Amino acid sequence: MSPRLAAWAVLAVVLTFLIGPFVIIILAGLSAGNSLAFPPQGISLQWYLKVFTIESFQASFAMSMFLAVFGTLAALALGIPAAYGLNRYRVPGAETVRLVVSAPIIVPGIIVGLGLLRYLVIPTGLGIGAALFLAHTALILPYAVRVVSASIENLRTDIEEAAVLLGCTRVGAFRKVVLPNIRGGVLAAFILGFVTSFNQVPVSLFLSGPGVRTLPVDMIAYMEINYDPSVAALSALLAFMSVAIVFAAEKFLGFSKYV
Amino acid sequence: MSDFLTLQDLTLAYGGTVAVDRLNLSIRQGELIALLGPSGCGKTTTMRSIAGLLTPKSGSIRLDGRDITRLAPSRREVGLVFQSYALFPHLTVYENVAFGLRLRREADLDAKVRAGLATVGLSGFADRAPAALSGGQQQRVALARSLVMNPKVLLLDEPLSNLDARLRLEMRLELQRVQRETGVTMIFVTHDQSEALALADRIVVMRDGAIEQVGAPEEIWTAPASAFVADFVGFETILPDPETGGALAWRPAAVSLGEGPHTGTVRGVSFAGAAREYVLDTPLGVVKAETPASAPPLPPGAEVAFDLPRATAALLPAMPS
Repeated sequence: MSPRLAAWAVLAVVLTFLIGPFVIIILAGLSAGNSLAFPPQGISLQWYLKVFTIESFQASFAMSMFLAVFGTLAALALGIPAAYGLNRYRVPGAETVRLVVSAPIIVPGIIVGLGLLRYLVIPTGLGIGAALFLAHTALILPYAVRVVSASIENLRTDIEEAAVLLGCTRVGAFRKVVLPNIRGGVLAAFILGFVTSFNQVPVSLFLSGPGVRTLPVDMIAYMEINYDPSVAALSALLAFMSVAIVFAAEKFLGFSKYV
Repeated sequence: MSDFLTLQDLTLAYGGTVAVDRLNLSIRQGELIALLGPSGCGKTTTMRSIAGLLTPKSGSIRLDGRDITRLAPSRREVGLVFQSYALFPHLTVYENVAFGLRLRREADLDAKVRAGLATVGLSGFADRAPAALSGGQQQRVALARSLVMNPKVLLLDEPLSNLDARLRLEMRLELQRVQRETGVTMIFVTHDQSEALALADRIVVMRDGAIEQVGAPEEIWTAPASAFVADFVGFETILPDPETGGALAWRPAAVSLGEGPHTGTVRGVSFAGAAREYVLDTPLGVVKAETPASAPPLPPGAEVAFDLPRATAALLPAMPS
């Protein structure tokens, strides 16, 4: 086999592993049969339609949406000032702060989830919803800080001084001059945070209670009881949603240059 | 004329490092002042303290009869054109110029912005983004943005250093014209003596956080007050003067080559268009001289007689430290 052919073969294998599951899930969800199987037994859209009628999915979808949107907004509310401060001021122990902020990326989600359950939810009696919100905010924070940091680093500091000389307060200069110029980075951080939160499983797994579940956790629970193609259909729909968001982001703001 | 801007015993520091030490300077209304010196001499630091971007450690700044030492930058009526121009990239040229006026809730906003753009010759560029302009045009936007605020003092940080040679001349004339038309007091920072000489009414030469000499361009050019200033404005040969105990300094053109009581060896020669520049090794030390380009060239290694006429020398109080 020539080296060129070998390279193509490797590429084909990699692409198969990356895209293959996606194709299988889409097709499995199209099955006309009653159990999850591949290749599908006949073709129908019934499972794709059924997904929308399952009540627990509706509730957990709403929960996941809430966490993804508000968790990300909370992470940005903390992360933008943090990124600004770390870049613009000589903060003592700035490197340590950066490291601690990145911890949720490095520490396995299982540990974070277990830790929050054992040492936050159980001793304080904090509601599951609130705990999920805190956990997701913490998980998204590192992405918010990193992506926004990159934008702030690329922004000249003298435009803030120019704004101050023209009559802005320091805070006013941040609002009128810094924020508008990093909005691409902020939007990129939002999308990255949203997708990360929405697809999060290990932490959410520990933080589930009666009637309070995120969508991925709910899907696992559903599959343990009903082994039908609706989970495959829902997975395919979620994958399409993520792809559509990232695609739109790439098209409208060149997402890939921020991440 | 009375003093308009006064810096008194101004001491400026970054962290623990003193950048400017007890500086005293008085500027009259409508003057065009150059702060001249090598990088690290404290000229930019001094300018930033006048703008209010740096609070003095001690000393005071008075502008038009008012103590502005601790006043917020926006309330000083001082404008600053940054070296990098610092235009707001997300706003159009028009909105950049309007920025300060909007914050001031200026009633006559549109007329003032248009007039400002007209002053710098950019009337047709109102709707452009700053990134779509050339460096020279960006600088003129920055100039207009400061001018429309009607500042009492306009500060310019290295206004010509980012421009190419042709634009530099154009901008120099432009700055002089704007100064003439508006009568605004201007202070600009530069490390280039030719810029300072060409533009300023008075030059303030700075070194290591202190003033070496203040004077009109002719004065700085012909009668430097110290060896540092002499060296900075092109007196390249500086030798001790046994008569006064001070030093004498010559420009290359003031050294006469070909005859004289001294001899030296040509170490190097370079052609500079109008003249040929020589570096001579002599018993007195290194001497730099030049001859008109029309004179026959001397080869490296040649022995040559030369004279250092006292009449063409600048008298200095001491040798370079």
